[in-house]
Amino acid sequence: MVYDLIIIGAGPAGTAAAVYASRQRLNFLVLSKDVGGQLAKKAVDIENYPGFNKISGPDLVKVFDEQLKHNGVNIELDEVGKIENENGVFKLKTTLDKTYESKSVIIATGSDPRMLEVPGEKEFLGKGVSYCSLCDGPIFRDKIVAVVGGGNSGFETAIFLSNYVKKIFILEFGKEVKADRENQETVSRLKNIEIIKNAKILKIEGENLVNSLTYQDTAENKEKKLDISGVFIEVGYSPATSFVKGLVEFTERDEIKVSVEDFQTKTPGLFAAGDCNQGRYKQIITSAGEGAKASLAAYEFLRRAK
Amino acid sequence: MVVKVYSTPTCVYCKTLKEYLRKNKIDFADIDVSKDEKELDAMIRKSGQMGVPVVEIGDDLVVGFDKEKINNLLNIKE
Repeated sequence: MVYDLIIIGAGPAGTAAAVYASRQRLNFLVLSKDVGGQLAKKAVDIENYPGFNKISGPDLVKVFDEQLKHNGVNIELDEVGKIENENGVFKLKTTLDKTYESKSVIIATGSDPRMLEVPGEKEFLGKGVSYCSLCDGPIFRDKIVAVVGGGNSGFETAIFLSNYVKKIFILEFGKEVKADRENQETVSRLKNIEIIKNAKILKIEGENLVNSLTYQDTAENKEKKLDISGVFIEVGYSPATSFVKGLVEFTERDEIKVSVEDFQTKTPGLFAAGDCNQGRYKQIITSAGEGAKASLAAYEFLRRAK
Repeated sequence: MVVKVYSTPTCVYCKTLKEYLRKNKIDFADIDVSKDEKELDAMIRKSGQMGVPVVEIGDDLVVGFDKEKINNLLNIKE
């Protein structure tokens, strides 16, 4: 079967695109490795999404999921490994070795956590190293942990973890932290969080599980070691776009270039919405808005192609 | 075959995984390792993992929502 539209990703952009596609009665499918995208990992409440004074990431995912079900949206939990275009039909090959065909595609794959790329990081992934504090934080009860990254994500991770763990070190590479004032104020009120600036991470070590982290104090030019059981890495995100090479143009940050009018890439019928495109201000609301626009644009593309 | 899912209440991937098992009519024991320290120790001992979800299927352990492995072990055909 050739679908009218396949939406890749089920975060805010993919969800909004799916709701719109369902209202246009398109024959479409959502292919996603998970439901909720980065929202599923959001460590503190969301307070800037219309309709909610305050809602947790997982609760917003639940509302999105319910809305998808309400609209009868078909979601396949699978990851797209490659997209090709043959005579105007997109062929999507997945990691579960299936092939799907569609006349149009919306890429709404968001971004993946950026890796620190230090020795021990890969080796101890799931053995003390985590990119999802919301998932794994509660099992570090009464332990001492490090959060790498002094931006909003790092601070929010530390705030969430402070409910469970004994002590948290926030390690920031620069001279100053980058988190906003509200997060800084919250952290300053929490007694079990300590901020260490000028910290360049050198290695993560342990036996079966992590037991230490070594960093270079770049102000004192000294190597220092922390005895910790967990390392939560929050050093930003990079767009999840490698599977679409050849069909789109990228910015230097690997974001997909799209037109601002309709979120179409250089390949007709191929759209990109949300964090994976070159748009600035990566927000839940903007991703949802772009998903809606891309879906309407895909509908128009299909109507014209008839 | 006994199936056990080790998870935390805040982990959305764990929820997706459990929903997937329910959809395919697989009975499983749902273990909240944020509350049950004994089970947490058992999970770490058996899997060497400090991360969720972990699924125990008979004598096999699956780390994360690895759909392919889970499908194979439980003979789920999509």
